[in-house]
Amino acid sequence: MRFRLPLAGLLGLTVLTAGCGASAEPAADGKATISYAIWDKNDQAAAEKIIAAFQQANPKVTVKLEITPWEQYWTKLQTAASGGAAPDVFWMNSLNVRLYADGGVIAPLDGSKAAGLPEAVVNGYRHDGKLYALPHNVSIPALWYDKKIFDAAGVAYPTADWTWDDVKAAAKKLTDPAKQQFGILAPMWDQGGFYNTMIQAGGHVLSPDGGKSGFDDPASIQGLEFWTGLIEDKLAPVAEVYTDTDPIQLFQSGKYGMYYGGVWFASTYWADPEMRARVDVAPLPKGPAREAVILLGLANSVSAKSEHPREAAAFAEFVSSDQAQKILSDSGGGALSVRPGTQDGWFAAFPSFHLKETYDASMPHGVPYPATLNTARWQDVQNKLLADAWSGKRPVADVAKEIATRMNEILAEE
Amino acid sequence: MNRPRTWPAHVLLAAGALLMLAPFAWQVVVSLQTLPESLRVPPKFTPSWQWSNFADAFRSVPLARQFLNTVAVSAAVTAGQLLLCSLAAYAFARLRFPGRGAVFLLFLAVLMVPGELFIIPRYEIMQELGWLDTLQALIAPGVFGAFGTFLLRQFFLSLPRELDEAARLDGANPLQIYWHIMLPLVRPGLLALGLLTVMWSWSSLLWPLVVNTDPEMMTLSAGLASLRGQFQTNFPILFAGSVVASLPVIALFVVLQRHLVAGIAFTGSKG
Amino acid sequence: MHSTREWAWGYLLIAPMALGLAVFYLWPIVQTIYLSFTESGVFGGHTWVGTANFTELLGDEETLGALGNTLLYAVLVLAGVPLAIVIAALLNVPGLRGLGLYRTLYFLPVVTMPAAVGLTWRYLFNGDFGAINYLLSEVGIDGPYWVGDPDFAIYAIAVVGVWSTVGYNAVLFLAGLQGIPRPYYEAASIDGAGRLRQFFHITLPLLTPTTFFVIVITMINALQVFDLVFLIIDLKSPALSGSRTIVYLFFEKGFVYNQRGLAAAIAVLLLGLILVLTAIQFRLQKRWVHHE
Repeated sequence: MRFRLPLAGLLGLTVLTAGCGASAEPAADGKATISYAIWDKNDQAAAEKIIAAFQQANPKVTVKLEITPWEQYWTKLQTAASGGAAPDVFWMNSLNVRLYADGGVIAPLDGSKAAGLPEAVVNGYRHDGKLYALPHNVSIPALWYDKKIFDAAGVAYPTADWTWDDVKAAAKKLTDPAKQQFGILAPMWDQGGFYNTMIQAGGHVLSPDGGKSGFDDPASIQGLEFWTGLIEDKLAPVAEVYTDTDPIQLFQSGKYGMYYGGVWFASTYWADPEMRARVDVAPLPKGPAREAVILLGLANSVSAKSEHPREAAAFAEFVSSDQAQKILSDSGGGALSVRPGTQDGWFAAFPSFHLKETYDASMPHGVPYPATLNTARWQDVQNKLLADAWSGKRPVADVAKEIATRMNEILAEE
Repeated sequence: MNRPRTWPAHVLLAAGALLMLAPFAWQVVVSLQTLPESLRVPPKFTPSWQWSNFADAFRSVPLARQFLNTVAVSAAVTAGQLLLCSLAAYAFARLRFPGRGAVFLLFLAVLMVPGELFIIPRYEIMQELGWLDTLQALIAPGVFGAFGTFLLRQFFLSLPRELDEAARLDGANPLQIYWHIMLPLVRPGLLALGLLTVMWSWSSLLWPLVVNTDPEMMTLSAGLASLRGQFQTNFPILFAGSVVASLPVIALFVVLQRHLVAGIAFTGSKG
Repeated sequence: MHSTREWAWGYLLIAPMALGLAVFYLWPIVQTIYLSFTESGVFGGHTWVGTANFTELLGDEETLGALGNTLLYAVLVLAGVPLAIVIAALLNVPGLRGLGLYRTLYFLPVVTMPAAVGLTWRYLFNGDFGAINYLLSEVGIDGPYWVGDPDFAIYAIAVVGVWSTVGYNAVLFLAGLQGIPRPYYEAASIDGAGRLRQFFHITLPLLTPTTFFVIVITMINALQVFDLVFLIIDLKSPALSGSRTIVYLFFEKGFVYNQRGLAAAIAVLLLGLILVLTAIQFRLQKRWVHHE
């Protein structure tokens, strides 16, 4: 009968409507399924191995891994949290942790489980005296260099003793306009770039209590000028270059001598056989005032509305445990485990890179990544204004002072 | 009248066609280069058969899955549009009922409203239904369209009145007339609408980007955006993904282009 | 059967579509207008704030920038419309062979997904490695960072916008050209008018209804541009200030920063803009569109 046609369409929709709304409920036999949300595809293999180990020790618990790309991760999490349906355990960073803690989305965790982890990283996850996430990896900024370019120019490779002056001197020797070759890359990047140099120059991004901006501190300005100076002196390409091509990939083209990157680039560069032989890594050079390396670790938070809070907390704790940290390390992916003493597997995965030396030299000088309740708001201001300094449209000092003023307004509202 | 010379037109058209084609050709070439090759100055204009870019693109986002999603969504949306639009269009064109003009005006009004106005409430509807990250979230809003109804109504209006009257005398009801007599006669319209709908649902980005954040549930358009997020400016891999994503619609178009073009020309003349 | 039966059939057949349009189109319009007067909480819920969103947007540098960028983009893309007329006129040359092939080639950018088109052009426009700057350097021009520099980005994107719609518009114009009766030209030939004169005195005036349609459609689409910009300009790019469009801002506010109320207000502003500009177009058309 021809009647069925339109009706079938409507019927189909009704059926589709009915097929929703199933959710996990606590079972009487103690079995529980918890969800674990992460954003980095590169960490999938390690996460799966860690889950397997956890499930082996806790046979009644099943952990379901959900990967959402970074671009969508926070939107999705915020939406889910508004509906009271955040994943049981999920990746957190120190930029967002206070917002989520304040919003009652995440539950405080047992602070004692963070014992032994580097204080610079753990500190980023404390709010109102409580710990809201357990760190599981650490990102260490580091100086990557192109051995081929150093060799060709007869310059000695960077060492742990290098200072800013060594960087500038080397950059000068490595720059060759005829070959369109630059000594160094100078992207406008906070984590691996200007936050480090601001502090190395004796300045600060935030006052210790987090209430005031440090951008107008003359030493901070000096730290910013380190970068813009490299561009002005034509030792580094102009600002637009990094917008057009991602610096990680620029460095792969073999025309840039040095690059303030991160140890976590190791897996990317190792994957390319030609790159593997051509580049190496060293600790960040010392600044005029001090040594400092911004440490940013990712952590796991537990949903305050989890139906299995005990299992969820147990899993978050497990990921930061010695056993899981070694699994993470041994998988040789992008992420470096945060618990001291568990990194050897990771170093061994990239034998020709000087990662262990970089790690050993950097960790004692670790400083926490600056964050407040609404980090994203003032960082937005910071990035928009700094773009004018990087492109040479306005002097760094002017821009830095304006950032400080606007940042102080935002901080005052927090 | 003597035949005018056509070669000047050919020269100009060919030059333009080259501009149209060159970016595609260049994309295919670069999709088969290594990353350092793609960053070379002067550019390297030949491929080096780096097929691993395709493997990388497939590995890093579930491209195969997204391909199937896109096919499924496009097929369902197109089938739904053809059925629902033609039903409504037939009723508006061939049946008389009170309020017909007013309801049709309301349909036309929807055409004037930019799509962004629908997105937030639709998102909230999907959230309520628990449909975020599902294919039906992509399909459900897509099967309804004022444009298709309007387009097909024009086709139905162009058919002679005698057709329905003869069928009614034979005792057929409106649904039977629609299905047996009218629908076969508006096939060019259906074909044009079908092709346009496939094209639009294949390419649409904003809604899929917003509503489905799980890579397994994304369509190719959103998948390319997330591939961009992952590989930044690693163009060989991005282009491998692009080639895979855009080829099917290009192939479909090359085969059926006359019908699509006829449909578009029709919207212009009657719009 | 001129009776209630026919009414019933009519209602029954439009019911599915009407229902769907009500749920997915009409209700959202009402809801968006309502939301535009509210502020959304970080984790759900919203509160009535009156016209605060609109006053905030209209006093905000970023929004005004986006408005300016969008209007500039629309103007630039409209400037590409004559190109489509020229292509259509060339395709309409009597006795031209290979029409199907040309039409296919000019239509390729139209059927390719904008996401893929955006990626391709982003590479072509690359300041260091892009083919465009390479070709320019061959003739001695030092090309800028097209999509990395806020001063150039919107122009670069408009080039892509024209490139990807010129085929569509040309097809519309071709249909319009084919609808012009031959005798007009024959009469003009007898009067001794050359082909160029014929083009300006017969073709263009008689084509104005199509031109009007193309202009309105192109403008409405241009005001809503998102896909191309989103794939060419990253969320973090400094060039965004010079290339952010209204819909890009809508996406940022609504789905990156989760400020749904503000995003709804942007959508409402866009609706107003489109309605006003379209109304102006319809007003102006009386002066220049040729009606038979």
